[in-house]
Amino acid sequence: MLRMRSLLPPLLFTLAYALVSLGVTNSYYQLILTLVPVWAVFGLSWNLLSGYTGLISFGHAAFFGIGAYATALGQIYFDISPWLLIPVAAMLGGVAGLLIGFPTFRLQGHYFALAMLAYPLAILYVFEWLGFQEVTLPIKRDAPVAYMQFADPRFYTLLGLAIMLATIVLTQVIERSRFGMALLAIKQNEAAAEAAGINTLAWKLRAITLSGAIAAAIGGFYAQVLLVVTPQSVFGMLVSAQALTVAMFGGVGTVWGPVIGSVILIPLAEILHAEAGARIPGIQGVIFGIAIVCVILMAPEGLFWKLRDLLRKRSAPKPTVDVTPEAAAANITALKPVARQRAAKGDVMLEVKNLSRSFGGLKAVQDVSFKLHKNEILGIIGPNGAGKTTLFNLLNGFLKPSQGEVLIDGRDMSGQRPHVICEAGVGRTFQVMRPFLRMSILDNVVVGAYVRARTDDQARKFAADAVARVGLSAVADRVAGELSTKELRLMELARAIAGQPRILLLDETLAGLGHGEADEVVAVIQQLARDGMTIAIIEHTMQAMVRLVDRFLVLDHGAVITEGLPEVVTRDSRVVEAYLGKKWAGHAAN
Amino acid sequence: MTAKSKITISRRTLLAGASGTLIASRAAWAQQPSEVKVGLLVPISGLYARPGTVMREGAEMAIDHINAQGGVKALGGAKLKLVVLDSGDTTEKAKNAAQRMVAQETDLVAASGAYLSSFTLAVTEVTERANLPMLTLSYSDLITERGFKYVFQTAATAGSQAKQALPQLIKLAETASGKRPKTVAILTDNTGASIASAKAMREGLLAENQLQLIVDETFTPPLADATSLVQKIRSAKPDLLFFLPTVISDAKLLLEKMNEFGLGQGKIPTISFGIAIAEPDMLQTVSPELLQGVLTCVASWGAKGHEALIAELKTRYKEPWMTQNAISTYGDMWVIKDALEKAGKADRVAVGEALRTMDGGPSKYYPLGEIKFDEKGRRVGAGMTIVQWQAGVPVTVFPPELALAKPFWPKS
Repeated sequence: MLRMRSLLPPLLFTLAYALVSLGVTNSYYQLILTLVPVWAVFGLSWNLLSGYTGLISFGHAAFFGIGAYATALGQIYFDISPWLLIPVAAMLGGVAGLLIGFPTFRLQGHYFALAMLAYPLAILYVFEWLGFQEVTLPIKRDAPVAYMQFADPRFYTLLGLAIMLATIVLTQVIERSRFGMALLAIKQNEAAAEAAGINTLAWKLRAITLSGAIAAAIGGFYAQVLLVVTPQSVFGMLVSAQALTVAMFGGVGTVWGPVIGSVILIPLAEILHAEAGARIPGIQGVIFGIAIVCVILMAPEGLFWKLRDLLRKRSAPKPTVDVTPEAAAANITALKPVARQRAAKGDVMLEVKNLSRSFGGLKAVQDVSFKLHKNEILGIIGPNGAGKTTLFNLLNGFLKPSQGEVLIDGRDMSGQRPHVICEAGVGRTFQVMRPFLRMSILDNVVVGAYVRARTDDQARKFAADAVARVGLSAVADRVAGELSTKELRLMELARAIAGQPRILLLDETLAGLGHGEADEVVAVIQQLARDGMTIAIIEHTMQAMVRLVDRFLVLDHGAVITEGLPEVVTRDSRVVEAYLGKKWAGHAAN
Repeated sequence: MTAKSKITISRRTLLAGASGTLIASRAAWAQQPSEVKVGLLVPISGLYARPGTVMREGAEMAIDHINAQGGVKALGGAKLKLVVLDSGDTTEKAKNAAQRMVAQETDLVAASGAYLSSFTLAVTEVTERANLPMLTLSYSDLITERGFKYVFQTAATAGSQAKQALPQLIKLAETASGKRPKTVAILTDNTGASIASAKAMREGLLAENQLQLIVDETFTPPLADATSLVQKIRSAKPDLLFFLPTVISDAKLLLEKMNEFGLGQGKIPTISFGIAIAEPDMLQTVSPELLQGVLTCVASWGAKGHEALIAELKTRYKEPWMTQNAISTYGDMWVIKDALEKAGKADRVAVGEALRTMDGGPSKYYPLGEIKFDEKGRRVGAGMTIVQWQAGVPVTVFPPELALAKPFWPKS
């Protein structure tokens, strides 16, 4: 049902576009109608990588050009039909994506963008050097259709539309699947995604391979439309820029963005060129540039998001009328009074042996050893800079230890990538929250579920289950951007438990919460422990901690000062001095 | 917020409206028998606007002259009307412009264009399918190797130019200095056109002409320093230097360095290919003294017999001299006019047929050969010109029948 509903708009749009184009006999307008889907598809291919992962590629012309040249040269030298060459071009583009992605994904942010810029420019010179400055497709007068050479230009438009529809549907399928979720998670926060069990490198490579394949296919089709291929026209800066322009104008990270951008910008540029340019040569570029600047200023994320936000505000008055946060809160407080029996010492789930990590001369964690038993709540405390978060980063794989071992179920996992450790059953939350603001609570949580879920349906089930466990079911459909800090903390918790971990690492989950709010979250954590979860928690709020944990581990200057039951630890003079300060020293004496 | 959404909607409506009017205004064009339309599809915006503008100037002058002399007599003195279309600065824009030309200017009888070979290749893919005769000075061999019937190449093809140039240069050196050159140096940047010319010379042309290659250097523009290149040339002392820059700053740098080393002003004859080194823009950065004596081989140039045209171009458009772009496009208009006279009707297919079969005798505006096209659409006997910088002006010095000045060659 959901699938059909999402299929309908692109189908209707394509049909309407096809009907309009069938009525156009002027070959010039028809050419423009053909170019619109071409650039839309190119924008979509860019969007698939850069829109969803947030890794901006300035070099998509590399794939486009490879496709165009493969299609042109295949016809010239091997007399193969473009019907066959375009799929071949797609494969080459995919391989190119893989080859380019593998080394380039080591870089992030601006460095990635700039590195991508280099590929088409380098390839451009290679093709010039090879002597392919100007390549023209041979005319096939005897078998035009077999070589995709139509006398009626409307066939090109229809073919372009077919490719566009296929790309839209493919993008939609990806958007809704584990694939799309993984990419979105990477865009929001790559580290958090890794921690949620997503093998980010593998997903990024899949994205660039697919993106490269689509770009190359449409590049091949473009060669067929243009009939002439030159390095500048397929590898040039302007080609890469075209993908960015249509996608950013229309909206990044949505299937409709590049389509909207292309439908508006391509005809606009041509009309300006034909009309204004005839009077004042060059003015078309000025008007076009100003128009884009204005739209970007008014709708920085693109037209699609601007329009969607406007429509949402107008049509959906208040989605929270019946489901107030108070209702959700009430739900949680109901859990509160049940006191938890302190856990008896069970099997060792996690064992840390002589773990050390230094940054240059600074020993952030030195020689830390402790055991985490099944179904216990271990509180890790210590003053600021004691190395608590560094310890967590060592446990979940963000950092590699300089020395020592982390045994999970008796297996040494130290130095493994975060997603591997997540798969082994360790979930974590972050001191600084990493919500995916544009996504609903449920979708936010689904990202964390894929590490265990085999199918999309199972992931939804796990996520719904996790949302229920933290008491957010009533507000599950709200967008994360509208939530309070407490709800966000609970949502992060849900994301961590959606992956069905056995061990949960909670980093200052109570930070920034008011008194009553902290109690609600504590109640949820206690309930989790009752349900069999093993938990290690870093926290500053002493009051809540004393009631919550079974045992304390106290760190100072990266080393363990002491560990033991809360009553004992809070009275330990070393702890009081190192961490609690003079005010508490008096209390301890009493 | 609501106000903003209204703006978006109204802008869209406006756009739709604008394109609607556009279609309507274009559709109603009645053919006027007293006027015959000729197209000119050249870059008048973007990177190549300058040469495109010069081409338009040449075309406008020709149209004025033709009309002043009574128009097309076979059509009752019908006047020619120039329709200029901007090919922009990319192959895609050029192709779009060509499509617009054939779709909306349906009464064109012929056209000229489109400056860059790659633009011409794309444009002629469109005009060929629309049976619109297209004259071009682009000289890529590819243009007339596709079996097209409506493309007419007025300049010698690149392959033919390379073959023609060397013997002519040797002849020129012998006439001017009395000595046959034996050794050459090649100094080329790695852009497409330069690489192609240098490759042809390395792979056979030099050997055919008994020239020995003693320095062969390729650089990537822009040059940061030309010292090491010039030192190699000074120590090797070649009889000829082939210097193929595309970027004006590279030309400046090398010529200045040559002068500094005492090799300038033709002491080692410096020869280029193409128009880059003889564009009026050169004088904006390079002093005339440094350019003195530099030669370049081009498809066409203002030459003997064009004095009046060169003067008119100077006064009317403030162009300091007549490059291949102006004279060649000027000639194109006359050829189209002659074809109209032969066809006897303002019809593109008839004009195409007339161009294919015409025999207009010796060429007046293109160098050498005849106004006659072979089965490929190449002008029969198309020659080329060699131009030399003399006192701040590149003047035609070869072939002798077109030369406006004697070539200047060092005596030592």
